[in-house]
Amino acid sequence: MENIIFLEEISFTIAFIAYTLAALSFIVLFAFKKEIIGKFATIITTVGFGIHTLAIVFRVIESGRLPFSNQFEFATSFTWGIVLCYLVLHYIYKYTGVGAFVMPLAFLVMGYASVLPKDIRPLMPALQSNWLYVHVGTAVISYGAFAVAAGLSAMYLLGTKKDGFRSSYLPDLEACDYMSYRVIAFGYVMLTLVIVTGAIWAKSAWSRYWAWDPKETWSLITWLIYSVYLHLRFHRGWKGKAAAWFCVIGFICVIFTFIGVNTLLPGIHSYR
Amino acid sequence: MKKLWSLITSLKLAIFLLVIIAVYSIIGTVLPQGLASEFYLENYSTFGRVITVLQFDDIYHSWIYVSLLTLFVINLAGCTFKILPGQVRRFDKDYYPSVRKDSENLYNDEVEIKSLVDKLKRKRYKVFRDGNGYMMSKNRIGYLGSSITHLGIVIILVGSFFGGLFAFSGFFNLLPGDVRAFNDHGFAVRLDDFYMEFRDNKSIEQYYSEVTVVKPSGDERQETMWVNKPMKVNGIDFYQTSYGWASRLVIKNKDGEILDMKYLRNNESHFFQSEHLTILLYGYYPDMVVTSAGEPLSMSEKEDNPHYAVVLYHFNDHVGSYITEPGQTIEYGDYLIEFEESRLYTGITFRRDFGYVFVVIGSFIMLLGLLVSFYLYPKFIVIKEQEIYTITRQNSWGFNYQIKRMIEDSIKREDK
Repeated sequence: MENIIFLEEISFTIAFIAYTLAALSFIVLFAFKKEIIGKFATIITTVGFGIHTLAIVFRVIESGRLPFSNQFEFATSFTWGIVLCYLVLHYIYKYTGVGAFVMPLAFLVMGYASVLPKDIRPLMPALQSNWLYVHVGTAVISYGAFAVAAGLSAMYLLGTKKDGFRSSYLPDLEACDYMSYRVIAFGYVMLTLVIVTGAIWAKSAWSRYWAWDPKETWSLITWLIYSVYLHLRFHRGWKGKAAAWFCVIGFICVIFTFIGVNTLLPGIHSYR
Repeated sequence: MKKLWSLITSLKLAIFLLVIIAVYSIIGTVLPQGLASEFYLENYSTFGRVITVLQFDDIYHSWIYVSLLTLFVINLAGCTFKILPGQVRRFDKDYYPSVRKDSENLYNDEVEIKSLVDKLKRKRYKVFRDGNGYMMSKNRIGYLGSSITHLGIVIILVGSFFGGLFAFSGFFNLLPGDVRAFNDHGFAVRLDDFYMEFRDNKSIEQYYSEVTVVKPSGDERQETMWVNKPMKVNGIDFYQTSYGWASRLVIKNKDGEILDMKYLRNNESHFFQSEHLTILLYGYYPDMVVTSAGEPLSMSEKEDNPHYAVVLYHFNDHVGSYITEPGQTIEYGDYLIEFEESRLYTGITFRRDFGYVFVVIGSFIMLLGLLVSFYLYPKFIVIKEQEIYTITRQNSWGFNYQIKRMIEDSIKREDK
């Protein structure tokens, strides 16, 4: 048992280092435009992701459940979701430079995880349900997608220069804009699932499917903001800068729902 | 009138409502909700008036919030009815949207049109020959995505509103042996036992209420409830919600004759009439330690070191504070006061709310609508002489990219 805890910690640390290096190399790639750095950054991200997955597997072995029940566990899963969404996007569209905007986010959330208490606590009675896995699992993916979308939007907002390097390593601005839209659409479907499964679970644990708990309310607020984004985009042709800013605001809401609500607005949902 | 209707069914209003509902919701998470109006007047000075007048103190049930949601439902339904005929018309197999002026022509000399068309046919595109060219379409169902989503949301909001209006709910405590009757619903709930399961570190693994549902016919049904495992009787759901300790107070005279006996919960007091003595059970500590500040504290709910904290008052004068073990007596004049035998009682919430069914059905429809919108969006490809265009509204860049890649792949393969 001790061994597994040790293995978990060491793989978590290695993954954190890998993400840090990846974030740095992506930024270096952005500045120096050397092809080899891009390859290195991608490889180290992929390897880091593998080791991070291992860390999570070790934790699952230790605790006998998925790591979804306190702030540390969610933060590490959230990072995992971000990197997963990024890698999927990367291997489909092959635009290496996107990492320069997504990996720093992964680094930040992983850094947040690393300062949180990592002890494994048994599940409190309210969390002992299979809905935990569906509800939090979809949240991990949804938040990961929103993070990637925010990275793409940040890239849109910063990236205006056009040269040879850009076109092969970074999606052109139009692609950037569309990708962030599609990733948001995916995250939005997932967020809807998070809220729906949460309602079903709340009904069976707390008697009410909706009780205006701060976490519930903030997930609704996030959902409303992305709803506005989708409508403006589809019907009013909001693209480019306006849409990108909206996407960044949406992600700030996601982060607030994740961290802010737990620390500033305690309710029945504040698992620390 | 016409103008008003077009405003009510406008996207502008929809966006405005979404934003304003979000802002209102934020206020509700920042301001404490449901407290007495004095609290707001004292703590927020002038803004306190605003809070109470605009009902920010119970924002989610205020008439303003309910009106906003009602207007939102009307707006959503109105918008949907307005766009629905157009969406249905696009189902016609002869309908093709026109190519946008800034569309990219994907044609190049190496494209084998015939094999591309075959490939797209295999991908379930409906193909029409149009003179020398082709018109292809797929997923016309996607036009309905937004309407399906909106229908789901309307069902959720209307269902939960009326469900909440007619909901029947409450909370009760039972000691083992106690019965709570639901006469209007033709049954009663008796608590047979309540217990907790502990882990090695004395933390609570789970709470269990063993109950018997008794019907007037004499039918009995036994069930065990725990957190996340509610019980359903005649459409009413029962939930294990809380628990507490009730401790037996016994007052005797010096001869050992019992004069008074009562179960008290923590922080509950008993007035012993003949001596004008108030006995307050400050708390029962099943696993007591004394903190550095001298306060008693229970390390867990496991009865490992049980103690009572008792305070006596004569009229309003403090007589004394005591920490006693079970059965240990406090002498007061000619009387002996003791606490012994603490029992757990359970706290059960019950609720019947038909709105839930609508919420589940509505959610399912909404999710289906979103999937149709985002992943089964309508796709069109127009091939003319030396021209290939893709047309879609939902994901024009992605779809264009996909078809472009398909064309490039087919060329590369032929090169090999």
